[in-house]
Parts: sequence; structure tokens; C-alpha cells
Amino acid sequence: MKTALRYALAALAVAAAIAPIWWLVTISLKREIDHFASPPVWIAFQPTLDHYREAFFLRPFGAYLWHSALVAAGSTILALVLGVPAAYALARFRWPGQFRDKVGFWILSQRMLPPIVTCVPLLLMLRQLRLLDSLAALAVVYTAFNLPFVIWMMRGFFEEIPAEIEEAAMLDGESRLGALMRVVLPIASPGLAATAVFCLIVAWNEFLFALMLSQTQHGTTLPVGIASSVTQYEIKWGAMSAAGVVAMAPVFLFAAVVQKYLVRGLSLGAVKG
Amino acid sequence: MSLALEGITKRFGDFTAVDSVTLEARDGEFVVLLGPSGCGKSTLLRVAAGLEHADAGRVRIGGRDVTEMEPRDRDIAMVFQSYALYPHMSVAGNIAYPLRIRKRPAGEIAAEVRRTASTLGLADLLERRPRELSGGQRQRVALARAIIRRPKAFLMDEPLSNLDARLRVEMRFELRRLHHELKTVTLYVTHDQAEAMTLADRIAVIHNGRLVQFDTPANIYHRPANLFVAGFLGSPSMNFMEDGKVTLGVRPEDIEVSFDQRPGWRSGRVWVCEDLGNETLVRIAVGADQVTARMPGGVGAAFDAPVWFRFDEAKVHRFDQATGEKKR
Repeated sequence: MKTALRYALAALAVAAAIAPIWWLVTISLKREIDHFASPPVWIAFQPTLDHYREAFFLRPFGAYLWHSALVAAGSTILALVLGVPAAYALARFRWPGQFRDKVGFWILSQRMLPPIVTCVPLLLMLRQLRLLDSLAALAVVYTAFNLPFVIWMMRGFFEEIPAEIEEAAMLDGESRLGALMRVVLPIASPGLAATAVFCLIVAWNEFLFALMLSQTQHGTTLPVGIASSVTQYEIKWGAMSAAGVVAMAPVFLFAAVVQKYLVRGLSLGAVKG
Repeated sequence: MSLALEGITKRFGDFTAVDSVTLEARDGEFVVLLGPSGCGKSTLLRVAAGLEHADAGRVRIGGRDVTEMEPRDRDIAMVFQSYALYPHMSVAGNIAYPLRIRKRPAGEIAAEVRRTASTLGLADLLERRPRELSGGQRQRVALARAIIRRPKAFLMDEPLSNLDARLRVEMRFELRRLHHELKTVTLYVTHDQAEAMTLADRIAVIHNGRLVQFDTPANIYHRPANLFVAGFLGSPSMNFMEDGKVTLGVRPEDIEVSFDQRPGWRSGRVWVCEDLGNETLVRIAVGADQVTARMPGGVGAAFDAPVWFRFDEAKVHRFDQATGEKKR
């Protein structure tokens, strides 16, 4: 009886989680006339790809998709290039007194800030620099968001690797950088992959800054593009849903691939420090 | 090639881990740094390796000053207690790594790996990953990785400590033989006196960051320079007695024991008697003190049985009670 109840609750939770996704996917495939059918059509409908055609050929969602991919990839690479050496330094180098933990905590504290408080200053700075409405600026902003996470997570992965392994590499003939690149990073590669995927997902999904910092279609990413289909005169449910499905797909894929490491990495960052 | 440490001092904050240690391992010599844990011997080795930077002193390898050099430029190889194998590489990859960094031709590397692996009995394991190996096999891989490029010096940091007792004795024989064949100057850190006695040409005893005696195993054992060395080497350890301003030290094997009364001998009672087969250890209670004597195997004695003993006077060590130094 208890087990049955448990399964029932689990089923309810799964249904609640899946229903909106199901609704999104079906709307993207339904004819417009079925969108508002009463009672709602859940399963039996005549499928069509018209909305996908509209979104990606008649409307500029294809370009938005490309923008999102560029910004996500660019910011992820930048965050890793900057964050991995910082994490390594925190994990390995000798720090005076309590500085290792103090600096580490300060870096983590950057994530405690509600992002929106930085919005106005960022907007003003980027305007002065004439970088509004540019994908590069967006990539830099996302890098700043992801950097503390990269440092905190990679530090945990580095600390798990015995220092003697790199020392052996350095005695075998590697410089410290060589030991990092050819010995430490390959060993930490699962953690690196998980960290990268997390950064990609954050940048891919980000809405607030993308909205504030873009002004024309040149700087619009997919989430902003989707939201902008809600206009004063009409709401293009079909095209929005089609774009939404496409936006969701890579996140699902990545999360499925690295979920094991992601959970481990997150809990690792949580308990260490 | 010799390996010389000259006036090495290393501090961590207020703690002086190594205090102006000077010692030289001569060409082809096997020198063991022996001391209790935390005495600074590993730090000293790491300074020699270049993994730690000394606050004072010079390191010379083959007469060349390498104090300011990176570890990779010193042309030395190190074996760690944890083996420190590269987990993402096969055994062959691990052994080949020092040569691959030096960009030797692939054919030459393959031949060297095969030769080194067969020397250490690893020929059938080349495709395995380190995690698929036993402790002893990992230790051999670490050794193979160290010897493959024929460095100027070997540094070994408690390489046998993670092995079980039987394997440790086995590897001790192999290490000694390997050193005989390679004749490469070796610094070897251990807290195990049996390893020190069996492997070393000379033993450097380190205590509280200082070098307290540097001599052959026989001299370290038979002519300890001070109370610390006398007490640290030997199992069971030397018996100490106070005699005025002098501390007397007698090794268990230098005590003659009789279960019949002898004129002029000291008397006591058997506290515990341990028959180990090849020897018997008798602990004798003398008033509030206890003395341990070593006798041939097969001696049985009842608890509290009366016993008489005397010291072999020629082999009694005398130490100054205030300084702990040997009295001349």
C-alpha cells in the first residue's frame, strides 16, 4: 500500500514535469486550429511542420539559434580558459595563511549576488564602450557569470588528483604547464566536460541579460527571440513552440550525457571548501 | 655522478623542517635517509628533487649546481610512496612517458620499454591500466618509469611502505640488486630501519631536521653517535640505564643471561619471555627497571622466574646524560 502510494506520487510528479514539455512539443506540431480546441487535443491531432518552417524560414529564429550557439560556445571556452588555471592555482599553489579559503570564498560569493543588480551598471558600461547589441559583449557577461562556477568546480576536481602525480610528471621532464596540460587535465577530463556543459546550459538559457543588452536582431539570442514573438497584436504560439523545442533539444542532450558527473561535481563543490 | 646537499635549510612558516643539513652521496652510492616520521627527511628529498625550494643551501648533482633549476632540468628520477602512476595511461605509456617527453624516436622508445619492462618482469602487463595492477606491480611500473631514461640520480620516497610485509622484503632484495646493476647514485627515504640497514651503503640519520649521524650501517648500529641513534636503530631497541652523569646503553644481544645463579652477575625476574623460533627475547624486571635480552631460539622461562645477567663490558655504550652525545 505504501509502495503504491509512493509510485502514485512519483507518477504525479513526473506527469507534472512532463506535461508542459508535452504541450510545447504538441503545439509545435499541431495546426493552429487545434491549438485552442476545447476540450484540448492531447494526442490525436493532424501533425504539421508548418510552424517549424515559419519559425526558421519566414522568421529569423535560425539566426537567433546561431547567435545563441556562438554566445554559448564563446563564453564557455572563455570561462574555461580563464577559470581552469585559476582553479588549479587555488587547488595547488602554496597560499599565505588563510588566503586560499578566503579567495575561494570570495570567488564563490560572486554567485550569491542576484544577477539583476549588475544589470544597470553593465548596461551603462557597455553603452560607453559601444558594445551594446553585440554577441561578444554577451559572451563576456556570461563568462563573468560562469567563471566562479568553473573555478569552484574545477578546484574540487583538481584537489581530488594526488599532487604526487604531477610531481612525477615534472620530474619525468614536464614543466608545470606541461604537467597540467598532459597529465592533470586528461585525468580531470570528466570533470572538465561536466563543467563545460553546465556553462553551455547557463549561457544557452540565459534571458535577462540577453534581453537588456540586445536592441536589434543582430544581438538577439533564441530565448529573447522566442519571447519577442509575444507582441501587442498577436502571439505566434506555433512558431514560438517550434523554436522552443529546438532550443530545448541540446540542453536535454547535454544533460543526459553528463548528468552523472554534473551531480558529482555539484555536490563536490558543496561539501569541499 | 655524485649528489651533494650543502647546508640545506627549509622552513614552513615558523617550523624548521630541515636545519642546515650537509651530506654527499658519492658516485654510485646508495644513501638512505632514515628517521621517524616528521623528521624532515622527505622534505630534504623534495629539495634535492627541486619540488621544494630550500631557504638556504645548495644542491649539486655531478658537481653542477642545480639549486635554481626546475625539477625537469635536473635529470633525476623519483619514485613515490603512492607510486604516482598516470592513471589515464597504460603500463607501457607510463614507462615510455619520460622518453616521449624527450621526443625520442618511436622505435627506440618501444625497444627501451620492452627491455625495461622485461628487467622488472612487467612484459605481460604492458597493455594494462595502473588500476588493474597489484601494489607490487604498480611499484615495479614506478621503478621502470624511473630507470628507463638512465637519470643521473634516483630519489626514492618510502617506495616500499605501501606494500605488505612479505612483498616489502622481496622488493628490498630486488632494489639492492637493481642498484648493483645500474650503479646510479640513490637517495632513499625510509623510517624502516631494516630497509636502511639492508639497502644502504651509508645511512644518514635525521632527527628534528638535523643530520645526527652519517655512516655505514655497521657503524651506525655498533657505534651510534648519540642517544637518539642508539635508541632508533635495533629491534628491540637498546637498553638504557642511568649511572651518575652517564647513560649506559646495551643492545639486547650484548647481554648474557643465566637461569642459574652466577657470582657477580646482576639478578632480576623474568617479566615476559618471547620465543620467536630463531631467537628468544627475555624481558627482565630489575626493581622498577626493565632490561631486554636476546637469547637463542627455544629458550623457555616461566613468568617471574629468577634470572641472572651481565653486560658485555666491551659493548656498553656511554652517553653524556646532558647532551645525549657519545662519550669518548
